[in-house]
Amino acid sequence: MYRIPIYIGVVLLLLGATAFGVSLWEGPAAWHTDMRTLWGTPIALFVLWIGLAHAGTLISAIFLALGFPLDRRTSMIAELSTLCSLVVAAMFPLLHLGVIENFYMVIPFLDARGNFANIRSPLVWDFCSIAVYAVVSTIFFVTHLLSEKREPLKKMVRPMSWLLFPLVLWVHTVVSLDFAVTFVREWQGAFFPLYFISGAIYSGLALVIILLMAEHCRVRLLEKLMLALSWVMAAFWLWEFMLKGTFSFEVVFLGAVVPQLLWLRPIRDNSFVIMLVAVSVILSLGLERYILVTPSEYNVGNAFGWVDLGLVVFSLGLFVTLFFVLRVKLRKPLEGDDVVMGELSVQDEEKANPVVGELSNNFHLLRLPLLVGFLVTLLYVLWAVSVVPDPMISLSVANIAPLCLPLLVLVATVTLCAKSFWQVLAPKAKYVLVVLMGVAGMLVGMFWAGGSSAAAPGAVSVQELATPKPAEKIWEARCASCHGRDGLFNEKFVREFYPVPQKLSLERLDSLGMDSLVSVILNGRINMNAYGDRLTEEEARGLVFYMRLLAGEGK
Amino acid sequence: MDAVLNSLCCLMALGSSMFLWRTPRSVFKEGGLITLYLVLFMTFSYLTMEGSDATLEYLPLRMLALCICFSVTSIRSHKTRYLVMAQILWLWIEFFGGVSLVYRGLDMPWTRVIAIGSCAAGSVFMNHISREMEFILMVYWIAIWMFF
Amino acid sequence: MQALAGCRRFTPDMSTSGPSLEDFVNEVKLAVARSRSGFDLVQIPMPSALKTSGGSPLNRFGMAIDLDACNGCGKCILACMQENNVPLSSKERRASGQFMHWIEMRGGAPSMCFHCGNAPCEKVCPTGAASHTPDGLSTMMYKRCTGSRFCGANCPVGARKFNYDDAVKEGLSRRFNDQVPLRSKGVMEKCSLCLQRLQDSKHSHMAMLPGMEWRGAGVQTACAVACPKHAIIFGNWLDPTSPLVKAAKRRNIYAPAEVADLDPSVVYLRGNR
Repeated sequence: MYRIPIYIGVVLLLLGATAFGVSLWEGPAAWHTDMRTLWGTPIALFVLWIGLAHAGTLISAIFLALGFPLDRRTSMIAELSTLCSLVVAAMFPLLHLGVIENFYMVIPFLDARGNFANIRSPLVWDFCSIAVYAVVSTIFFVTHLLSEKREPLKKMVRPMSWLLFPLVLWVHTVVSLDFAVTFVREWQGAFFPLYFISGAIYSGLALVIILLMAEHCRVRLLEKLMLALSWVMAAFWLWEFMLKGTFSFEVVFLGAVVPQLLWLRPIRDNSFVIMLVAVSVILSLGLERYILVTPSEYNVGNAFGWVDLGLVVFSLGLFVTLFFVLRVKLRKPLEGDDVVMGELSVQDEEKANPVVGELSNNFHLLRLPLLVGFLVTLLYVLWAVSVVPDPMISLSVANIAPLCLPLLVLVATVTLCAKSFWQVLAPKAKYVLVVLMGVAGMLVGMFWAGGSSAAAPGAVSVQELATPKPAEKIWEARCASCHGRDGLFNEKFVREFYPVPQKLSLERLDSLGMDSLVSVILNGRINMNAYGDRLTEEEARGLVFYMRLLAGEGK
Repeated sequence: MDAVLNSLCCLMALGSSMFLWRTPRSVFKEGGLITLYLVLFMTFSYLTMEGSDATLEYLPLRMLALCICFSVTSIRSHKTRYLVMAQILWLWIEFFGGVSLVYRGLDMPWTRVIAIGSCAAGSVFMNHISREMEFILMVYWIAIWMFF
Repeated sequence: MQALAGCRRFTPDMSTSGPSLEDFVNEVKLAVARSRSGFDLVQIPMPSALKTSGGSPLNRFGMAIDLDACNGCGKCILACMQENNVPLSSKERRASGQFMHWIEMRGGAPSMCFHCGNAPCEKVCPTGAASHTPDGLSTMMYKRCTGSRFCGANCPVGARKFNYDDAVKEGLSRRFNDQVPLRSKGVMEKCSLCLQRLQDSKHSHMAMLPGMEWRGAGVQTACAVACPKHAIIFGNWLDPTSPLVKAAKRRNIYAPAEVADLDPSVVYLRGNR
């Protein structure tokens, strides 16, 4: 059943791999960029795929947290799509960098040389949020997957979904802040966080609907939500138009008009057409992201080229291949013994505790992890503020706060799961885990050591500095005969044999400037020999300083 | 934003909140109402505020957040949960909108953010919300709008 | 060929390989011909000490460009290219009017990085490669740059240039000046207010006149020296004897509207000549 999608995925992946390879080799010049359109297709794709990742978490974690019953298979598929989208999304910020090997410099931690990333930058918040999102989503997926058979993990699922819930929204908020903090007119908008989140959930729902179609499964709630969100997106697009005058017919048509077809019964009954509508939604949002990232007023260079198209195809191929391969490999645990209905544990829980306080059950389990997470985050913030190396940087809460939640959630998740996982893992897996921790330690050590200390090729060497004594000696040896020991000219000698040299007053020295004076000494002038063959530049510079001293500087 | 306009915003939010979450609930009804309110608030903001004032950008969303906070007080089951979520939505809009404006040179409205945050944190511990408590909350929210 | 005054290392018989000087001259002529529209100028008070706590109370370096004197000849652009080893652009980019030049012509007058005291580019650089010195320069650490181009996107006047191409490999660069490194592919670059000249002056001053405060007296940027009309003046805003302060004191000081609120160190002068 899944062979066809896998074949399609592999074909697309191979087609797109050329474009990906060219982009890696040539760097940012390969795709649609120029001196004013500095960001391009990779960033647009990044935002799109991160958005697509969100619906997965929305459906599995958020619905779970809020107690909406969805069958296990739907939530597992949604979570799998999150993970695959995240893998695809993570490749693009790396591709976008001009010097990919320096990517580790955005990690907000101190290295042995005292280098610290600039935590005022939204890209640093981005890195942390997405890295933590990937790690916690993986842990959530594995926990959920294994929880059917293993008792200790069952009670971890719901608390973890409560941790994942704010993290998801935080991630896309931080992505929106990448744009909203700038001076680029099209990227400005204090409403961007919610706008991006709505767009993300909207496109993500469309993706999950398509993936469920591939399972011959329909969840009406998701389709209804998608339709309702199309109205909300239309409102946001109206606001963009009111504020900035930006309007794209294709985006609004594909994203707000086409989904309204779902009102017609014949369309609603035809699953293929619904899939087309979902594709139209994703297309609309992809276009919207692309238009946002490449503001039209700046585009002067080449247009959307084959490399850009190839990157889109690559991302699609990678996702499809990854998703369906994993779907096949994980078929047993995903579908479980009971294929059809019910997160029975959720409903049972609801029935068993009608009078106890609202969040208390999950809260009980989360108390310690949250406390530990909060303390670690507080320590980190205090340390980061104290260790910032540059006195010219002034940090405020607004600069640091976006880093806090990801760190808190990461520590809390690890604290929550550590004990249960250790109990549940097979001995072999435990060894693997220990080895992985060793590898992680090694990476931290490499980060701490920092990059290579070798000088850059073509680095500049520093010449020996001039000092007062030698300068005085050089002056008296070479210059004093015409210019005089005191900087005023040697009258008798000069008037008899040479034209009068220039006055060396402080104003004149200032107006001529250091470099033209050095040039005169080295290259000569009318009536003055060049001394470049007898003096180094540093000596010449020392002489200029000596001239200033003679002219009265410092008196 | 002067007090008259702020109170107008509160009135609009209060009025529109009466229609949300009424039984029978349907995704379409709630989604449609929220969209309608968004368009209404957006038109209102556009017509009443200066284009050059950057805080205009998130005013309709702030009004929507206030509307949702008001409306949530009418929900019967799991009220605390929804109350906390609504206030966090409002906090989210204020805080992250504020961060983006800080980078463009404006100040972050700290008193507002802290007021909403502390109210949200306090609501977590409310087990049983009486009608008087609801009323106090609503007055507090209106006070945040009028004075901060 | 007669050297342009003030370019330290230029000697007539350059034996280094690379494009000829004529290629550079032609590119500058092309750039001048394609001058973009001028800025909307807004009057600002004279720049004073930096507002951040680490700012030096003695030195804040900057420049003033006299719009009444400038005739748009473009000699400043060529001098800058030679002083800082700025590469040529690739053919396609040249055709669409995009160059690597650190100085661009806007409305017939040169514009470059304005070295804003409250720089938007420095705030968003993820690695901290774009930073501000205590004496007022907005600097760029090439080795720390990871090429995210966030700084370039956030510059309101587009003063930053990205090295899309490996200039050495493509034969687009020439090492005019031994004292300035060639930038590798994938990093951002921009006007550095001839930081290397300031550094040389400072070090020599510290060696020659220990105990005396260095105020950067006598240092001139390459563009300032090259300008035949003396329309570009470099100096120290905090030193009343600096030629910059003397020139700006009696004139009206302007900055582009986009950067006027960001405390620029590089300004325009007009009127009251």
